[in-house]
Amino acid sequence: MADDKKALNTEAAPKKRLSRRDFLVTGGTVVAVDALIAASPAAAAAAPAAAPAGSSAAATYPASKGYLVYDSKKCAGCTTCMLACSLVHYGVQNLSRSRIQIMQDSFGKFPGDVIMAPCRQCKVPVCVQSCPVGAAYVDTENGNVRRIDSAKCIGCRTCLRMCPQQPHRTVWVTIDGKGKSSKCDLCLDTPYWDEKGGPGGKQACVESCPMKAIKFVAEMPDQKETEGYDVNLRNDHWYNLGLVDNSTVEPKRNPVWKVGGGE
Amino acid sequence: MKGGYTGKILRVHLTTRTIGTIDTAKYEEFGGGHGIGSAVFFDLVGDQLTFEAFDPRNLIIMMASPFSGTFMPGSGRCEVQGMGPMLYPVEWFAHSNFGGRFTAQLKFAGWDGIVVEGAADEPVWINIVNDKVTIESAKGIWGMDTWDTQEEISRRVMPGLKYGEWAELARDQATTQSPAVVCCGPAGENRSRLGALLHGPGSQAALCGFGGVFGSKKLKAISAIGTGDVPIADPKAFMAARLWFRQFQWDVDNPREAERFGAGGPYALISGRPSGGNVLNRDLPLTPARATACASCPRGCRMRLATGDSNESVCAGTMVITVNGSVKFTRQGNDLMQKYGLGHWQLMPLLSYIDALHKKGILGKGKQIDTDLPLDRPGTFAYADAVMRAIAYREGVGDDLAEACARFAKKIGRYDQDVNDGTLSLAYWGTANHYDPAIEAEWGFGSLLGERDLMLHQMSNYPIHWMAWSGDPYLTAEEVSRLYTDAMVPYQGDPFMVDHSDGPTGIYSDSKVKQVAWIKHYEKFWVGAGGFCGWRWPMCITNNTADRRGATPEAEPKFWNAVTGDNRTFADYMELGHKIYTLDRSIWALQGRHRDMEVFPDYVYDKPSVGHDMTMYIDGQWQYAKGTGRTLDRAKVEDFKTRFYKFEGYNPDNGYPKRDTLEKMKLAKVADLLQKRGKLG
Repeated sequence: MADDKKALNTEAAPKKRLSRRDFLVTGGTVVAVDALIAASPAAAAAAPAAAPAGSSAAATYPASKGYLVYDSKKCAGCTTCMLACSLVHYGVQNLSRSRIQIMQDSFGKFPGDVIMAPCRQCKVPVCVQSCPVGAAYVDTENGNVRRIDSAKCIGCRTCLRMCPQQPHRTVWVTIDGKGKSSKCDLCLDTPYWDEKGGPGGKQACVESCPMKAIKFVAEMPDQKETEGYDVNLRNDHWYNLGLVDNSTVEPKRNPVWKVGGGE
Repeated sequence: MKGGYTGKILRVHLTTRTIGTIDTAKYEEFGGGHGIGSAVFFDLVGDQLTFEAFDPRNLIIMMASPFSGTFMPGSGRCEVQGMGPMLYPVEWFAHSNFGGRFTAQLKFAGWDGIVVEGAADEPVWINIVNDKVTIESAKGIWGMDTWDTQEEISRRVMPGLKYGEWAELARDQATTQSPAVVCCGPAGENRSRLGALLHGPGSQAALCGFGGVFGSKKLKAISAIGTGDVPIADPKAFMAARLWFRQFQWDVDNPREAERFGAGGPYALISGRPSGGNVLNRDLPLTPARATACASCPRGCRMRLATGDSNESVCAGTMVITVNGSVKFTRQGNDLMQKYGLGHWQLMPLLSYIDALHKKGILGKGKQIDTDLPLDRPGTFAYADAVMRAIAYREGVGDDLAEACARFAKKIGRYDQDVNDGTLSLAYWGTANHYDPAIEAEWGFGSLLGERDLMLHQMSNYPIHWMAWSGDPYLTAEEVSRLYTDAMVPYQGDPFMVDHSDGPTGIYSDSKVKQVAWIKHYEKFWVGAGGFCGWRWPMCITNNTADRRGATPEAEPKFWNAVTGDNRTFADYMELGHKIYTLDRSIWALQGRHRDMEVFPDYVYDKPSVGHDMTMYIDGQWQYAKGTGRTLDRAKVEDFKTRFYKFEGYNPDNGYPKRDTLEKMKLAKVADLLQKRGKLG
């Protein structure tokens, strides 16, 4: 873990630092967070510029130099990305540990039958903003990736509650028997994968996705809605399989069988 | 504890309502899945054989594999074992399997498998939430179709779950996933021998009638959800293997020779392209859809549609019912089959047989077999629903039809006539003809020397069959014979294993003996114990690489060793497959199997084949040829069997495993029981 990484939350954003004891004594998660957050998380995340909440300083968060965009119409729901994430970070296979979550309704209707939920590396990272102990931070030495140092996490779940996305992109995991928060680090810290991660590097979910439905981009997607992240990564090769998202689309090659019949 | 295993198998006794565990370590020598299931079956009830499939002593064994819950490509199927009421003339100890995500959730919950014993006195379902296991009342669920059952159980397991949000099963046990439920439908509840198990809208354990066994135990469903870890022995090697495997996948953005392999046709089945398995969405205008995968599968052969019908159904699951003039009602008609919980691979021949009997004037209103079913309106939705409902609920003639093809034919006194002349083409053990045993002999022999239709689509005949039928094979007959058999370790280097001629190196040859043995060993270990998908593995050839070599045999041990920490070769694991097959044959022997029973019905020997292009070595040349007009020769089949039994270490006089064979496999206790019963070879 990156204990020694520069953490904007704690170093650039002056505010009252709460110890775990202090935090608990103040009466629990919501009360403490409410005291620290000036605005609702959704409002904070969408704000054009933001200062660390609760701070009088007008410090802004430098934009992340990397983002994951995805195509939820291309995803096949195999959960390979989730298992790759779990593997490279923890050395095990466990959907609950994955920092990208794929949900699906087998009985649902396309395209609403799949929800892809990677971390957005928000322009205004509410997880960072709200963390009472500075465990969530902007890693300015590594492309400004929004990260959580699980070793510092006190398990208050504030970042889970305050993440403006549904489902929340901060992920609750058990480490050494203790509940901790974690989140996507764009594969900066992968003890079980020797590839260089982060901006300019490789991400396990991107590399493993058989449908190529996840992509790393350096430019910040539109922050307002999901459209900025949920993009079209399909080309004619996809449509030519007969997999259209609009019944008016006619593939360039007819998917109808030309020879024989079904088995 | 080794990687890949959680360390314990769940044991539920429905009669006594007790819940216990079996240490997986006791059975690790059998690999997982089918191997462990067979060993558990032998240990728990082997000495009580034989009894009927609906006897409470029968077991439902549902095993995961070390790969379940991992991203091993094309793995994670759930192996279901027990005595199969659909099979004929004996309800053999049998297997079926289904895809989806059930075994993944089972593993995350901390279980390597489930063994269900006894029978409940009232309808129940089993609720697995991590290590908490309860037997719940099925009041209000019993009677539901398979889709409603799964959704209702999901609500009961996680009442607070909202799609697209996190939920906590207990403190620190968070998930975004919904419970994975497998259940029987009305067909199973009513002990139909066509009763399938359903998971999701279209994942069937179709063969053998295990839905009926669920019903006989008054077991409606099993639900599993978990949040735990599946340990991996060598995570770095496993990740490297997964990324290495990408070269064998269909490149969705830039497929190799897209014009050739991506344009539908037979290549939709064998190219590895997404979505090719649903045959009901390929006519313009297309219904918007996604390719849908089972857990961990890079192929995604299924679809989920904007209309929500035929979701996750594949191949036969989309082909049993045809409603004339309407692809939409055709999809919904096939969904009815899924909802009633009827096994597609048995319903298909049964519907054909009903039609044949109707046309002969035997079955219908006022006929010899009197029924009000609207048999004069085939091709309508009303017909499909009426017939399936009658079978599922055992209404009227449906009570007899629910006995499945073979027993129904027997009951009406037409079995011998109709099966032997091919009117009812049950080629092996009451299961339907699939690939022609006279041409694609390995499929026929592999089924006959098993207990049901082989249903292993990537074994040699299948990719060759469809490649040839495309009219544009990407390999010549000589090339495919060499490449395919190069991968067939430990018998590699003998191209005549895939010679489908009836010449000296063809379907009766010693080469074919080796090929059938290879198929059975691969079936038992990699597919059975490893939970592999038969539509993905083995991969001896592929259109997705420049040299057309597939991932077999390099991939299998690469992945297995990385996950488990073992350090064995492909050949080592194939010998384990031989061991599992031998154990299965021992159980069949205890049930009464003798080589004299391992014969095809007369039509296979007597009815000339229409033929099909396959690799044949004729007059010193490899070629694609059809073999039209060929019949199987009884004496040559018997001679083939004799050599096969010897090759496998069985007594050719009766097909029973020999003691020295069993003892070499550390199965001495099996030999002892066989000897006690007079079944030792």
